[in-house]
Amino acid sequence: MSLSNPCRRLAFVQLALLLLSLLVILPVRGEPLRVATLDWTLAETLVALGVEPTAVAQVDAYHDWVGKPALPPSVVDLGLRTQPNLELLASLEPHHILISPMFANLAPRLSRIAPVEHLALYSPDIETWREMRELTRRVAALVDRPNAAEMLIADTEATLAKLRKQLPANPGPLLMAQFMDERHVRVFGDNGLYQAVLDRLGIDNAWPGKTNAWGFALVGIEALAGLEGRLVVVEPYPAGVEAALGDSGLWRSIPSVRDNSLITLPPVWSFGALPSAQRFAETLVAALTEQHDEHG
Amino acid sequence: MSTANLARPRTPALLCLGLVIALLGLAGASLTGHDLTAGLSALFQPSLQDTESLVRHYAWWPRLAMALLAGSGLALAGVLMQQVLRNPLAAPTTLGVASGANLALMAATLLAPGLLVIGREWVALAGGSGAMALVFALTWRRGLSPVVVVLAGLVVNLYFGALGMVLLLFHQEALKGLLVWGAGSLAQNGWGDAAFLAPRLALGGVAAWLLLRPLAVLELDDASAKSLGVSLKHLRLAGLGVAVFLTGCVVSVVGVIGFIGLAAPNIVRLAGARRLGERLLWSTLLGALLLATTDLLLQRFAGTLPTLIPTGATTAALGAPLLLWLIPRLKLEQRPGTAAPTFGRRHPVPGRLAAMMAIAALAMAVIALLVGQGRAGWLLTGDWAVLEWRLPRLLAAAGSGVLLAVAGTLIQRLTANSMASPEILGISGGSAIALISAIFLLPVPGNLTLVVVGTGGALAALGVLLLVNRRSGFRPERLLLSGVAITALFDAVRAIVLAGGDPRGQQVIAWLSGSTYYVDLPAALAVAGAAIVLVLISQPFTRWLDILPLGAPTARSLGIELDRARLSLLLLVALLTASATLVVGPLSFVGLLAPHMARLLGFARARMHLAGAALIGALLMVAADWLGRQLLFPEEIPAGLVASLVGGTYFLWGLRRPH
Repeated sequence: MSLSNPCRRLAFVQLALLLLSLLVILPVRGEPLRVATLDWTLAETLVALGVEPTAVAQVDAYHDWVGKPALPPSVVDLGLRTQPNLELLASLEPHHILISPMFANLAPRLSRIAPVEHLALYSPDIETWREMRELTRRVAALVDRPNAAEMLIADTEATLAKLRKQLPANPGPLLMAQFMDERHVRVFGDNGLYQAVLDRLGIDNAWPGKTNAWGFALVGIEALAGLEGRLVVVEPYPAGVEAALGDSGLWRSIPSVRDNSLITLPPVWSFGALPSAQRFAETLVAALTEQHDEHG
Repeated sequence: MSTANLARPRTPALLCLGLVIALLGLAGASLTGHDLTAGLSALFQPSLQDTESLVRHYAWWPRLAMALLAGSGLALAGVLMQQVLRNPLAAPTTLGVASGANLALMAATLLAPGLLVIGREWVALAGGSGAMALVFALTWRRGLSPVVVVLAGLVVNLYFGALGMVLLLFHQEALKGLLVWGAGSLAQNGWGDAAFLAPRLALGGVAAWLLLRPLAVLELDDASAKSLGVSLKHLRLAGLGVAVFLTGCVVSVVGVIGFIGLAAPNIVRLAGARRLGERLLWSTLLGALLLATTDLLLQRFAGTLPTLIPTGATTAALGAPLLLWLIPRLKLEQRPGTAAPTFGRRHPVPGRLAAMMAIAALAMAVIALLVGQGRAGWLLTGDWAVLEWRLPRLLAAAGSGVLLAVAGTLIQRLTANSMASPEILGISGGSAIALISAIFLLPVPGNLTLVVVGTGGALAALGVLLLVNRRSGFRPERLLLSGVAITALFDAVRAIVLAGGDPRGQQVIAWLSGSTYYVDLPAALAVAGAAIVLVLISQPFTRWLDILPLGAPTARSLGIELDRARLSLLLLVALLTASATLVVGPLSFVGLLAPHMARLLGFARARMHLAGAALIGALLMVAADWLGRQLLFPEEIPAGLVASLVGGTYFLWGLRRPH
């Protein structure tokens, strides 16, 4: 065999270059990116982007309250979100630690383990949907999957557009609530996940009052009595509340309860990002169209 | 009775009349906002088509009734408690009723939600009764002596409170509804709860009336009371039983409502009601009016904030300054039987005991440093990569344990009151209020900011203490009352903040539960250094500390300048408490438990008591920190909570033993 042939020489150089580049790439490819996060909203975004987080705080509670998308079985539980186990986290040698501003006081200590990324959602002055998209892109950039972010955003927005078309002609204003106990509810409004979805679907929110920085107000159920709007209760009901409500004169006199138009939705993480938004939109529109069919 | 008093009999009538007028004015204003006659008729028969009328009938009127009922029940319970326990600090919740009910509700929510379907109030009532039964069982063999009962109640409160905090820390999402209950919201959704409460309160009222004459005997000291042929034990059981029953019923339907039960009895006494019968009657009336008026006032502001204004906690918050204003005006009698109880015997060779404690503390420290769990299971390691996380926590735990234990010993000896602890003095409460505000009001508070703010809060609380008590020469009882007022303010702020359901509440809970988690090495070294320096500074005070518990006259006759001694000791306690609070939060209770445990072990003289308490404090906190990190690995239970549980168990066991 001779290398005198120019073609062959070229092929050899190409092969050598290929091998060389493989040598450079392989260690990176061979060691998957290890990302740890304390925040469930960031965790659900990671999973939706097709990245398996190495470690997440309070994994069991995540599955109770966020539910889907499920975390991979390999994920390491870091303990409490407010006090993740630092010895354990350090031993995992993550490349990135993603946190929301709520945990900013931990940053000095976490940054001794790995670079800490602060990712905010529900900032009061920024439109929630735009911030959700930005958050998704920033998370994707950190894990080097910019395309996955665009796909997730496009997919979510397409789903919501499709759902909007399926809505009955005049859905009327809704009142979104979640029970704390038999006398108190959180009512959701501006600067929250549910409001962002209602905006995309073109549905009005019947809650006239203020909401806090997290998009809800805590009120007694008498505050719901005088409002025009179909009541949507997001599960779970705390234990015993449904039974107690049956005995409550006030509850029975609420318009949506009286005319039996109350909608109950399965639990959705109310501080979530795009995956939770999509799930909420799907269940809400399904319930609205079903009710519409029954009534029609 | 002097002629001057006969000429001008003072009763709380004028005060109550003023409140009645305020109440009617507020209620009228609320009703005329719409239609007065329709609003009044809605009380009996709502018009089904009119939402306004329905809300009046099912929410507004029941709420007013509930406020009156709950206020009267708590005030009545407060008078009984203070009478039987001979302590103006005693409140309806002193025996752990609220914390027992809270724990039962939490446990039921997590483990047996089926029970809550039967009825939340029954679960709460069972929990409250359980706490009370525990207190009675622990103190029965000591004849339900007031001091021991108060102590047992305090520790049961801490114990159940700590258990509740652990559950809350790990299941915040599932338990968020109970935080609303914990802040005492009077919102009603029908007449059911008022109908539940009214007959039970009436029953309690009748029982209190029947007990009126025997209970009056308790104003005498034990010997005179016994000479009248009264079984003190059974009398106390009956009195406390009625008080706890009333409290339990109120708490089970509307949650925790502070201030009323503590303040109403003190206010009517101040306004001139002396005899037990008068105090019972006027307190009940005043409590009902106070709570109902406050509630109507607060409802005017509902809707301006995106969150609930829980009446119970807000009343406590508004009442705290009033309590502070009242304290210099309260006539506190020198009541019998408030001196610290003497448990256990004096150890013959306390030096040897102290040496053994020191060895135990060192051994515990070595274990805490080298042994732990990782992903692969248990591990013995000397690797700095691991130790760098453990060393700061070890130092901080030991340092804060020593600081709080010494502060507790000083304050218990200074006030000669076994209920006293640095946490109760209000210094940690002040620092905690400041920190909670910082977490909620500043956008992204860093650790340095939090330390600065926390120190500011501790200093502010100290300033209030000094201001309120300057005139009285820092009399111990007033000092403690002021501390209770500041601590009540802190409890109220915490309850309001947590009830709102803001996710940042998790951070508050985590910090409040007394964790060494947030300490880095420089801070840990600072705490350890502060502990050493302040313990050395406390040494010259031991003569005062031996004499002060003997009472003011003895101390004066031995040539102690009381004002100066009390002020210096108070400043030292404040310094000790503030340094510890900034690191491990306000709720570790080592400051209450360590001095008592030192006494139980036999450290009697001040110098050895200080040394023993410091060693126990260090040992307890180091052990608690280590256990907390291992028990539920990878989740961590804050050291303060574990210390409360470990120390509390030992303490209750010690209390149970008869002399």
